[in-house]
Amino acid sequence: MNISYNWLKDLVEVDLSPQELATKLTNVGLAVEGIHEFENDFVFDIDLTSNRPDCLSHLGVSREIAVIQNAELKIKNANNEGQRTKDESQNLVTIQDSELCHRFTARIIRNVKIAPSPDWLIKRLEAIGERAINNVADITNYVMHELGQPMHSFDLNKLKENRIVVRRARNGETIKTLDEIERKLDDSMLVIADAEKPSAIGGIMGGFESSITSETTDILLEVAYFKRENIRQTSRKLNLSTEASYRFERGVDIENLIRASNRATELICELAGGTSEEFVDVYPTKFQPDEIESKNIQFAVKRLTGLTVEETEIIRVLSALGIKPKEKSQDSNLKSQIYVVPSWRHDLVIEEDLVEEVARIYGYDKIAEEIPPGKSAGEYQPTEPRKKSLRKTLADLGFDEAISYSFIDVKNDEKFELLPHLVHENLDEKFVTLKDSIIEGAVRMRPSLLSGLLDAVRTNFNFQKRDVKLFELGKVFSASNKENELPNERELFAFVLTGNEMLENKTMPVRELDFYDAKGTLESAIDVINPINAPSLEFIAKDVKHLRKGQSAEVLFNGKLVGTLGRLSDEIAQAYKFKQPVYVAEVDLETLLLRHYVLNVETAKFTIKGNEVKLTYRPLPIYPSIVRDVSLLIKRNVSFAEIKKAIESEN
Amino acid sequence: MSEERKQIEQIREAFEQEFGRFAHLRVEIDGLSLTDAENLSRELVELKTKHTGKKSEIAGAKKLIGRVAPEERGAFGQFVQTIEKEIVAAIEEIENNLKNFVSKAKIEREKLDVTLPGKRPRVGHLHPITLLRQRIEDIFVSLGYAIEDDREIETDYYNFDALNIPEGHPARESQDTFYTTNGFALRSQTSTVQIRAMERRGVPIRIIAPGRVFRRDTPDLTHTPMFHQIEGLCVDKGITMAHLKGTVGVWLRRLFSKETKIRLRPSYFPFTEPSAEFDFSCFKCGGTGIFENERCRPCKGSGWIELGGSGMVHPNVLRACNVDPQVYSGFAFGFGLERMCSLMYSLDDIRLMFENDVRFLEQFR
Ligand SMILES: [Zn+2]
Repeated sequence: MNISYNWLKDLVEVDLSPQELATKLTNVGLAVEGIHEFENDFVFDIDLTSNRPDCLSHLGVSREIAVIQNAELKIKNANNEGQRTKDESQNLVTIQDSELCHRFTARIIRNVKIAPSPDWLIKRLEAIGERAINNVADITNYVMHELGQPMHSFDLNKLKENRIVVRRARNGETIKTLDEIERKLDDSMLVIADAEKPSAIGGIMGGFESSITSETTDILLEVAYFKRENIRQTSRKLNLSTEASYRFERGVDIENLIRASNRATELICELAGGTSEEFVDVYPTKFQPDEIESKNIQFAVKRLTGLTVEETEIIRVLSALGIKPKEKSQDSNLKSQIYVVPSWRHDLVIEEDLVEEVARIYGYDKIAEEIPPGKSAGEYQPTEPRKKSLRKTLADLGFDEAISYSFIDVKNDEKFELLPHLVHENLDEKFVTLKDSIIEGAVRMRPSLLSGLLDAVRTNFNFQKRDVKLFELGKVFSASNKENELPNERELFAFVLTGNEMLENKTMPVRELDFYDAKGTLESAIDVINPINAPSLEFIAKDVKHLRKGQSAEVLFNGKLVGTLGRLSDEIAQAYKFKQPVYVAEVDLETLLLRHYVLNVETAKFTIKGNEVKLTYRPLPIYPSIVRDVSLLIKRNVSFAEIKKAIESEN
Repeated sequence: MSEERKQIEQIREAFEQEFGRFAHLRVEIDGLSLTDAENLSRELVELKTKHTGKKSEIAGAKKLIGRVAPEERGAFGQFVQTIEKEIVAAIEEIENNLKNFVSKAKIEREKLDVTLPGKRPRVGHLHPITLLRQRIEDIFVSLGYAIEDDREIETDYYNFDALNIPEGHPARESQDTFYTTNGFALRSQTSTVQIRAMERRGVPIRIIAPGRVFRRDTPDLTHTPMFHQIEGLCVDKGITMAHLKGTVGVWLRRLFSKETKIRLRPSYFPFTEPSAEFDFSCFKCGGTGIFENERCRPCKGSGWIELGGSGMVHPNVLRACNVDPQVYSGFAFGFGLERMCSLMYSLDDIRLMFENDVRFLEQFR
């Protein structure tokens, strides 16, 4: 939001330079992102947090400056008493839905002459980045930026029966808005209608037909308050956000309506030569100020911020912010106090909110730095040390760590064989799917890490990096088999390798990587997360959907199927346009980490379900070992595992 | 001259004749190949055996001493010995010269370029996000914090309601949360772990929770629809914003430098009250805003780096976890790891974090 330094000086005495003021405003929570010069003015770009709609105007920022500098505002307080309407205009405004429209004021100004605004007004608007249109439109815009109250002017003679009905739209009713777009309305939306049809979408945008033109002579000036939630809802539904809706949905000051109306009327009469006539203020839903009880505000400030602030300073800050202590009876608790929240602050509800008000004005910079007394020993996630070893081992083996998006393209769905028990195959919707994504097609929450790694291989191939080793640790997702239950999340470990074994700083390859490099990597990785001498992984030749026949294996740990390993199938390799062998492995890391060996110090054994590893050392053999080289002639279909087993059974 | 002396002279002449071809090696050896030098050495060994061994002529000539008249015997014996010494000395001189030459030539031949790359397998690299997470975890564990993590797909209750973001709240309707077709939310902040951890562990509690979060941001230089956050939470009796400031200070001073300063600025978050942005003095320019005579890049010349959001845990959040806000208070903070990483390494395109381009990953260790 843009705020003019000169404009502020109209509203409050400013003794600070623009630079000093920017720092002070930032320190109280109105973050000034930049200052730029505009002719003989300075313009602040303020990034307001969503809880401070009261600062969406020069008046709002001036209030903060008044508190910072302990000064008075130059402009009078909001005058809630307008001229009352004459009896004959009683039906000028009818509010049919007082839940959505809490207050509506209308003023008739006749005999105006629509013309360009004077220079000073155009300059003011241009300084804050607003475009001038004509005198009446510019004045309503000007008053909104000055006082924070959006308003709308209708051409009175284009309103059927010259009157206003504030009602819900009828389903299917339409309106052509100022931007000349025909919009379809429904009965959740509030319209400002004439005797027949909608003339504006309440608080969002005026209608085209009833808008001010160069021929307009009589206008009806609307200054109203609408229910915040409803404006937000309608604005979303219509996908239409305006400066007015932005303010209304965050909350304007309902007690500021008459001041805003008077200010605009004065300016219109002065600059467009009209005469102010009937005025109506229909206020069916009276404002009830919020009250906050604090047992001891000084204590609360100390308890939450550590700041010791004098009671008089607390009272000064709160009062300056318009937060007034409510008069209390003599016998009540001395410290306990009820505070009345001003009509422009929608964000103050509880004592902690008051603490923040005191602390931010007193200064967050005065908060000390302390360390809370230590009571606990730090701890990593129980699986973290083993995951750290795993990562380290993979890096030592030449693998770079990848992190891929959790959402992948649906076209990967049937490509990969998923780890056992990951998805419930009998479900209609076995995967987790996003309603919509940001990346085209990527609506599937990944059930496998492989597609991400293969995408990464392709990325690297595209940059002529043909020797690639990557690994990833991350969660995969699958639908729960119980209705309305959160999806399953499981942490997997996967890697991919392709190309040649490489030496650091040398471009000459050592040799081509093959299946056994992949297998060795997996063995090393799993070895380091288990105690020494624990049985290693078992590999069983088995066809796997995404792997090439004859070079694929299932991986077992302690008898349980935990993963797959092998060379990527020709079909998938072709789809990725890979012209060299690519080896992949994926294992259920969560299971491996959960079903880990537990150390029992008393028995000096690591144990796991159905298996145990002794912790004690074996005495060293007395004699040096002897190596024998034996050659066997064996049929090709006999596996190494079978030979090993046969030899070992001979002891 | 006696017959015997003549005989000895002849032996010497015979030696000198054979030795002649080695004579030039007496001076500094030059222009000889290593192979020639080694051959010459071998031949010289043969010459040495012939002329100085027990079966050499000069050894045989010692028998002549007996034949010489007794009064001349002494002088003659000396003469024989002198000749023998001359022969041995002549051979050994060449022998040494050749030996030195050969060993020098071998050293020259086997000389290595020590600047060539060493032989070592290519070592891989951990992802910069992992590296930074591990460093921060180490610091907080040393401060007595437990590391926590939890689900990435959550119910609206954990992602919003329990964090004091009720239905109709602007933060909830901002449409930057991903939803699954079953109506679950991909967590949009790691603050969800605050709730889960307090439910599990109760209070007092001191945790940090690193993890993935998701927001419906179209990828650009500074946004990705998935990124990592670290959430911190400390709830106990008597916890204040001073503890927040102190803890953030210790952590960032350990990560960057002892001189790092902390600044809190008022802000707004639904789950904290009071709320604050936390900034730290720029690690590059030391808070001056100027680096190498130019406007400092990470802090954009302001001297401060805005890192994340923080504040005192909102009483509604404590109540949602069955913690009495009258008895307990706590601070919480959160920040994005990708943003921090890109500041630290002056990385101008955050999307590189998830492209897994090896040329990018190789730059971190
Ligand atoms: Zn800097």
